[in-house]
This record gives sequence, structure tokens and C-alpha cells, in this order.
Amino acid sequence: MARSTSFRTHTSLHAAILGGALLLPALMTAQLDRSHPPLSGPAPDVHIGHHSIAELPNGMHLIVVEDHKLPLVSVQVRFDITPVHQAEKAGYVDLFGELLTAGAGKRSKAEIDRSVDAIGATLYTSGDGLFASALKKNLEPLMAVVEDVITKPTFPEEEVKSALVRARSAVQQRQEDPDGIAEAVGKLVTFGSGHPYGEMTTERTLGQVDRSNLEAYHRRFFRPDNCYLVFVGDITEKEAKALAKEHFGKWKKSNTPVTKDEYGREVVEGLGFVVPMGRPSVPGKVRNVYVVNRPGAAQSVIRISFPLPLIPKDLRAQQAQVMNTILGGGIFNARLMQNLREKNGYTYGCYSSLDVDRFNSALVVSTSVRTEVTKDAVAEILVEMERMRNEPVTKEELILAKRSMMGAFGRSLEDPRTVARFALNTRLNDLPADHYETYLKRLDAITAEQVKEAATAFLYPNEANILVVGDLDQVKSGLAAFSTNKEEPILRLTVDGERWKEELKPVTDRTAEQIIETYIYTVGGRDAIAKLRDLEVVRKETGDGPEVEQTEWFSGERYRMRRKEGPSVIEEITYNGERALISGDDGSGELTDAGLEMVQRQSRPVPEVGFEKLMNGSRILGSLSEGDREVYKLQLTLGSGNSLIQVYDKASGLKVREVESQYFDGKMNERTQVFSDWREVGGVKLPYRIMESGGIRGTRVSEISSVRINPEVPKGFFDVVIPEIPEGTVPTEMLPPEYTPREKEED
Amino acid sequence: MRPTHLALYTIMLAAPAVAQKRAITYTEFDLPNGLHVILHEDHATPIVAVSVMYHVGSKNETPDRRGFAHFFEHLLFEGSKNIKRGEFSKLVENAGGVLNANTNGDRTYYYEVLPSNELELGLWLESERMMHARVDQVGVDTQREVVKEERRQRYENQPYGTITLEVLKRAFTKHPYQWPTIGFMEDLNAASEVDYQQFYKRYYIPNNATLVVAGDITPERTRTLVESYFAKIPKGDPVEQPTIVEPPLGREVRDVVHDRIQLPAVVMGYRIPANGTPDFYAVEMLNRVLSGGNSARMNTALKDRLQVALYCGAFNFPFEQPGIAMLFAIANGKTTADELEAAMQHEIDALATTPISEEELTRLKAQLETEFVADNSRVAGIAHNLANAHVLLGNTELINTEIDRYLSLTPADLQRAAKTYFVSSNRVVLHYLPTPSN
Repeated sequence: MARSTSFRTHTSLHAAILGGALLLPALMTAQLDRSHPPLSGPAPDVHIGHHSIAELPNGMHLIVVEDHKLPLVSVQVRFDITPVHQAEKAGYVDLFGELLTAGAGKRSKAEIDRSVDAIGATLYTSGDGLFASALKKNLEPLMAVVEDVITKPTFPEEEVKSALVRARSAVQQRQEDPDGIAEAVGKLVTFGSGHPYGEMTTERTLGQVDRSNLEAYHRRFFRPDNCYLVFVGDITEKEAKALAKEHFGKWKKSNTPVTKDEYGREVVEGLGFVVPMGRPSVPGKVRNVYVVNRPGAAQSVIRISFPLPLIPKDLRAQQAQVMNTILGGGIFNARLMQNLREKNGYTYGCYSSLDVDRFNSALVVSTSVRTEVTKDAVAEILVEMERMRNEPVTKEELILAKRSMMGAFGRSLEDPRTVARFALNTRLNDLPADHYETYLKRLDAITAEQVKEAATAFLYPNEANILVVGDLDQVKSGLAAFSTNKEEPILRLTVDGERWKEELKPVTDRTAEQIIETYIYTVGGRDAIAKLRDLEVVRKETGDGPEVEQTEWFSGERYRMRRKEGPSVIEEITYNGERALISGDDGSGELTDAGLEMVQRQSRPVPEVGFEKLMNGSRILGSLSEGDREVYKLQLTLGSGNSLIQVYDKASGLKVREVESQYFDGKMNERTQVFSDWREVGGVKLPYRIMESGGIRGTRVSEISSVRINPEVPKGFFDVVIPEIPEGTVPTEMLPPEYTPREKEED
Repeated sequence: MRPTHLALYTIMLAAPAVAQKRAITYTEFDLPNGLHVILHEDHATPIVAVSVMYHVGSKNETPDRRGFAHFFEHLLFEGSKNIKRGEFSKLVENAGGVLNANTNGDRTYYYEVLPSNELELGLWLESERMMHARVDQVGVDTQREVVKEERRQRYENQPYGTITLEVLKRAFTKHPYQWPTIGFMEDLNAASEVDYQQFYKRYYIPNNATLVVAGDITPERTRTLVESYFAKIPKGDPVEQPTIVEPPLGREVRDVVHDRIQLPAVVMGYRIPANGTPDFYAVEMLNRVLSGGNSARMNTALKDRLQVALYCGAFNFPFEQPGIAMLFAIANGKTTADELEAAMQHEIDALATTPISEEELTRLKAQLETEFVADNSRVAGIAHNLANAHVLLGNTELINTEIDRYLSLTPADLQRAAKTYFVSSNRVVLHYLPTPSN
């Protein structure tokens, strides 16, 4: 497509706006050809506005951008601070930022709020400064507040106390906000908990914060010599200088008592050790999968990330940004958006963001998808990263990405604050003076090879941290495959990012037998179950692998089960009350030991009524909260010595899920079945929906499609004829672990 | 209240708004097919916003197709007679532009912001969308899934995400405002080919649309281009907006909603008059008295003094037919929903009993004045504001003069509005409580 470059940078002060008047006549007369997009006019010039930088005698930097289009002035105060480890006091810097407006000079919080509101101004403070804006005519009173807030915050004891209560409430709110959890825990897994960017504010860390920390932080880091004062808008350089002098001219660097301890660490009175950020985090060696459990979540929030060794002045940063734009950086035609949304309909949106930060960069891909496709979405994201690394991007993709970035650059200049941001970034990030002037030219020159090099250098699909905030039971088995952490394929974290530990409360008022009995009673009782002697149940099973129709016939102690893929039978089990025969693709044979035991268990519509015969013992592990409900957790020991975990809902009495160990693929696996949608059949409640995961069949959902009571079955339908056992050895992968020949172990 | 005070306030309010000095200039005209066109010229940055507002939203839906207007918005990015599936956004991004759209109860808004040399591309795209949009089954099936995920992401997987849905369905029983714009999946699943064709034919017509072009343009040339791209699109049948009048609530509707939250919240939805009416502005002013800035009444009382709220806010839904003002607060610390409600109620009652102070008036005026400048600082924002003023308020000039409607209100007007609308028989109160864990 013949489109010209979106914008050209023009360095002269006067932007040459090229109107399209020359093109006009052709359009007015000729018949409009709608079949093609119209041609572009000549690319307009982009003009980066002028800024000035000056230094006050106290070391404070002053940046001014004049733009008199609107009668607005914005003021920024920005301190150049290396992030510090807040460690056990995590959250105090944010609290400090918030409380700058809680009292300053002679002003109370209420007075500050009133002064700002009375002139219709805005004022936002943070740990590294503030942003404020007002109409030009109201600038003087705003600056008086800005001065006090920056140089004389008082942190009144009462305000600190009340802010801490609010901060704890905010933590509680975050704990129930899937996006908030993903954001906070995501940073933790990206950078690590020992990194200033990975520290997590919790109720516990807030408990360690007091007023003296805030005062000390202010003394140590809010100083004129590391401060930038930025004015943008309807103000002249002269006026800005006068305001800077008036409000900050007398501000002296305070004498913070800083000492070094015997190990050379900086000790600040009121803060203790102040440890500035050390080495930046880099991608780890393994791909870990982290899950924060939200039982019954409407979606899985997915965040795939890794820290990066990339600084803003690295020339490859721009190439990496082009690469990120093509991968998923905010445009609709990015690969992730096209794949996950437009091709697969998994999500409303999927984005990658490359945050090039002077202290530590990171790449983060984030999306929210319905629970069932969690695994598929993660797989597609990783595939797209691999593809970026392995294949060059197409010419069309490269052009589109570059043009949209040029367009974004041009649009950003509509806001005069962009010019100030460029000036500030140039200083803070130590960029060449013409960095932004040459931005469009450098962008235009980027090649597909450079994009591929950037992908190789800055995409780490195999070392990524995969975080999912969602329903653990439903996603864990699918996600485990992505992990290269052999010891713990799924690292379960709490909403506060700590390693999750099951908190079982002891149960003393009932026994495991009573809980099972309650369940039997709840679904209809032993009499009703006994009456439902002959039954046929058909289930449709979907998920990993092809769709299967499974039919079960129950008849007293006898049982038959048939699994069909389309018209062909793939597996059949017959049990005559004593012996069981299995037949399938690999031939047929008798099921004994644990295999027989499994058939015996499933040979009744409500397996638990036959448990006393099959169980060697049962005990309550305890009760626990799972999302909105309280459950009992039971451990049952089977005759074979294998054990089975059952979980029952305290309120309804119904069985929630069952977990058992299965040996395949050379290791023990946990197969989970989740039961729901209980409906009555002949006076007995059955789980119409069963979700199975982690077992040899992968993740499957089965739903009852038809039920017949007293079905007609042919004579001898439950008869078992055992064929002769063929000669030959059992394949090793079928053997339980203790029989697996072991390699020589290395220590 | 002593009369002298009232007189003083009236004088203050009558002072001309400074903002008028900085009027947004524009030209507007209708094409013979009924398309309304508004042009705004501003050469500061070489960009142009091209937007079309269709006067159709979720209130135009039938009760068995709830969510259709928004779903349709998704489908109208699928292509046209001359634009293949997936090409629409490619053309815009290839030209260095951005595009998006949004839908609410009253209207659907599409826009592109492009480098100004791509003005014609924007006009071609929007005229294609209006003239002969095309959607295939793949697009329908995909976007249905996308919209389901949008619903889950925005409403179901967010704490307190359902407050609007829960309030609206109790505040209205007859009017289509009772259902949310995002709609319901069963209705979208039920939609068929006929629905799409009818909806397009009925609402996506020039006489139900307003085209705004704002930015680095010359109005004469732009007008010629607009004519060449849009004039041939045939006019449709006049669109009739719903005439259903929701009867007064007549009693307080009160309910508890359980959500996956730790901190309780209180939501109040008051039935209010339509956007553009004097009382709508009066209620909006009351909202600002309550929560417009840190020094506003509800913020200082609930957050600072009593410390019962982590967050609180009051705002109007700008519906063109009688709608809702919503007050919302999240509890702080161990505060219960009842305590929080009592604190909110105290402030609501005070609006009727205590006239607003001189300081409050000064604040409101200053804030409105600043907002006017800030809201009209980008061409994309100006395009949207111009379209809104014309389509929903019926008068484009309101982009400049709506502020006077606020400023001409007297404290007595506000007090009367508080007594009329902020009464319990006119509201829905919901307590959002943590789902009990048995």
C-alpha cells in the first residue's frame, strides 16, 4: 500500500503545515473511486517545541516549555531518586507520597485541600514528587501550596494513623481484585521480592511503618540538588524563573545525618539502613508457573513477564520497542491481539508492554481469558514469542509498526507536557541531546533483521514467569506442562505473593465416616440409592483430545462402561461383581489390584455407599476456606494402600472434588475430579458435570446427556470372560515407581 | 437561610464565565441525506480526528436483544464492500493513526485520530462503514466470544464490577435503561442475520449520524471531501427514539448484593431528569458539592473526619432520557455498610437543609472553568464534545455555553433539587457485602 511516512520531524521552530489544497480539483470532478483507500497527502512536519533548562544556585534544575495556546500551566516537581529497598517496611514510600498533602508548613490537610479546590486546580503527589495544574491566573496560589508540600511536609501523627488504616483497607481491596493481584504479585515474580520493584505492600509491612520513616525519607531524598522543577504551558521563562526563585530559592539542602556502619551501609536516622537498588534483575534459568487461586473465578488473569538488561540509552531500546509493538504493543494489528482475540476469541484484549526503565526494564504480556482456554492462551503467547525470535517479521508488519509508532509520537506532541517529558527523560536517562529530534529518523531506519536481533536479545519465553490468577483446580494441570521447574511445576502463591500453605483447621465435632454419611443422606439416602438399582448414564466428554461418549450401566454390584469416539468403541470395562475385564485398542485383559479397586469404586452411581468394603481407613485432615465456602478435607486409604483425597462442602454436604494419585509418564500425577451441577435422578442427586484434570486423559469436562432408569440390557451383559494372559513383559512406564530401574543418582 | 446570603450568591453566579473568552469555533451543516457535519479547525498539531456518532444505543434495543447495539459496534470493524475483514484497523494503523469506538445507552461513537495528511482516509473509512458495512459469520462468531470476555473482564471479574448493572435493573422496570449496554449473552447468541440487517438499515443511516472532523484541516476543502464521500449514501427512514416513560419509583428499593470483596460498599441510585434539563445540572452540581475534590463534603466527612470510607464519589449518568445519579462508597477499616450508609445519608440530608456556602460556590465555579479548558485541550476530545452536544443535547453551541447552565443555578435551585431528587422514595440502595463463607 502506498502510504507515506506518517510524520517527519522538523527542527525549525516554525512547523511547516502542508495543507492538501493542491490535491483538491481532482477529487471534485472525477467520479469517486471507492474501491481503494485514498492516497495520502504529503507528510506533515512534526515540530518538537522548545524548552529551556536552567539551574538555581541551590542546585535545583528548572525546565520550562512555553505554550500559550491554552490558559493552563502545569507544574511538575520531580526528584531523581534511586529506588530503595523498603523490605519489611514495604509501602512507606507510597505512604510518604500520599501524606505530602496531609499537612505542610502552617497548613493542615483540610487547608491544603481547600486551597487547591478553591482555584479549580489539581495536585497529585507521589514518592518522587508531584504533578499540579491550574489556569494561569491561579498559578500563584497553587505555587504557594506546591512550595509547602515539597519543602515543609509535616506528617501529622493523626493523619499518618488514619492513612495507615486506609492503606490496610486498600490492601484488602487488592486481595479481592484479580487485576490488582496480578499487577502486584506479577511485579514480585518478575523482579523478585528482594528488589525494590518487586516488594509487596501487605498489612504486615504496613504495621512496621511509622511517622519517623516518612520524615527521614523526606530529609534524605527531597533535596534541591536532585530536584527538577518543570513548568509547561501559558507561562514565560521569565515568569517561571521568578516563581522558582520565589518558592524554592531559599530552600537549602538539609543536613541529613547520614552515617555508614561497619559494613559500609548507609544509615539514616529514622530509617535505619537505606539500601539503594543494587544490580538489576535478569531473566532466571527456569520457566516457573505461579498460580494465585481464585476458586470459581470468571476469568484467568494471565501475566507473563521477565526482567531485562536494557537501559534507555541503549540504541537497541528503540529496536526492541518496534519488536514489542509487532508482538503486542498496543496496536490492534499486533500479533498477540490478532491471535488471541481476532483469531481465537479467547479474550477482549492481549497486550505486551516493554517498559524500558533506567533501573530495571521488563517485558510483560497480560490478558484475561475464560478459564477453559487458560492453557491455550499461555501456549499461544509463548508461541508468538518464539516466532518473533525465530522468523523475521514481514515487511508489512514492520512498516505498520513503525508508522503507528511515528503516529503515536506525532500525536503525543499535541500535549505540551510531552516536550517537558522529553527534556526530563534526556537528563534522567543520560540520553544524547538530540535523542528525540532524531527519533523518527532512527525509527524509519530500523530493519527486520534488527527486530529479530532485538527479539533474540530481549524475549525470554523459556525463562518467563507465568502468573495466573484464576481457578487453580481448573487450570493447574494444563499449566504444569509449561513449567521447567521439575520440583514444583506449579508454585502456588497467596494473594500477597507469599508461598501458599494450606491452613487446615482441626475438626473435632465429627468423623470422616459421618461426613460421608451426611453426603449420602444429602444426595437421597441409602434407601433411595438402593432402589436405583438399574441405571444407564450417558456422558458427553470434551476437552483435551477428541470428544468421547461414555455410557455406564449400573446393576446392583455389577457394572459396565463403554467409551466411544464417534462410532468406534475405544474402551470397555465389564464387572460382574467379582472380576473385571478391560478391553481397548491394545487388546484386553483382567483388571486386578488397584485397577480392580478403581472399577469397584465407580461401579455404583454413588460410589460412597460401597466404601466400607473398599476402604482400609479414613480420617479428617481438617476444614478450610476455599473462596466463598468452607470445606472438609478427608483422606481415605484404599485396600491397595493407595489413598484418595475427598473434599466436601460444609454447607451443602455435597462432594466438591476428589484427588487421587496416578502413575504415568514416568512420574506420579494427581488426578482431580470436580463435581457440580447436582440434579436428581430417580430420587438420587448425581453430579451432572464432572471436570477431570491432571490424569492420563488430560483436562476433560463430562456432562450427563441422558439417563435411563431400569434400562433393558441383553442377557449376559455383565458376564466376564477372562482371556488368556499373553506372554511378554510389561512396559516399564506402566510399572509403579518402586520398580522403575533407576539411573545412578548424582548428588 | 437569610435572604442577604441568597442575594450575594446570585450575584456571584451571574458573573459571566471567563471560559466564554475561549470559545471552541466550528462550522456545521447538513448534507441533503440528513448527515450532520461539524468541522473544527486547529492547526497546532498536524493531526485530525474523524468521528461519527450514531444516535443509537442500548435503549434502542428490544428486550430480547439486549446488548445488540454494543455488539454491533464490534461488528462494524469487520469490513465493508471495499474493505476486507481485518483491513479496517490495518489501514488506520498503517497511516499512523489510532481508532476505537464506544457505546452507551444513547449513542455509538466511532473515531480515528490520524496525521492530518490522512484526512481523506478517515472520511473514506467512515463513509464505507455508513454506506455498505459487511460482516461474515466468522466475524460474528469471533466477536461474540470477544464480547463475552469483555463482559467477564469489565463486570464479572472486578470487585464491585456489577454496581451499575445491579442499580439499573432495580431503578427501571419499563425503560430500556434497565439493562446494561454490555447486554446478556443469551440475547447475543439468539441474534441472527435478519437482526444485523435490520439494525444496520434502521440506525446506521446518514440522517441518524453526526460526522465531526476536528484538527489540522481547512474547512472548505474538508467540506468538499465530506460531500464527495458521504453525499451519495441514501437517507433512511426517520429514527424514532423510545417513548417509554418510566413511572416514578415511589418507594425506596433496598437490597443486599454479595460479591467477592472484603470491604463492604454502599451504592445509591437516585432517579433524575434527563441530561440537558436544568435539574440535571442542579443534581450534577450537588454531586460536585459532595465529591468534587478533596475538600468536598462527602470526602472530608467520610474519608477525613469519620474515616469510614476508603473511597466515595457521586456522579450523574448523562442519559438523554431521565436517568440516574449514583453515589458510591467503599468502607474503610472495620466500618459496616450500615455505618457507611448513615454517614452518607447525613451528607445527603445536609444538601436539603444547609445551603451551599460561598466557599463551595467559588470552588465549583473554578473547577468548572478549569475543566472546560482541560476537556477541550485535544482535538479528539473536542470532536467528542461537539458530537455529544449536537446529538444528545440538540445544540452544538452547548460545547461553549453548557458551563453557563451550571453557573446560572442558584443555591436555592440546588437546595430544591436536593429536596426533590435526593429523597429515599426516589432511590435504590444496595449494600455490597462479602459473600458469606458459611
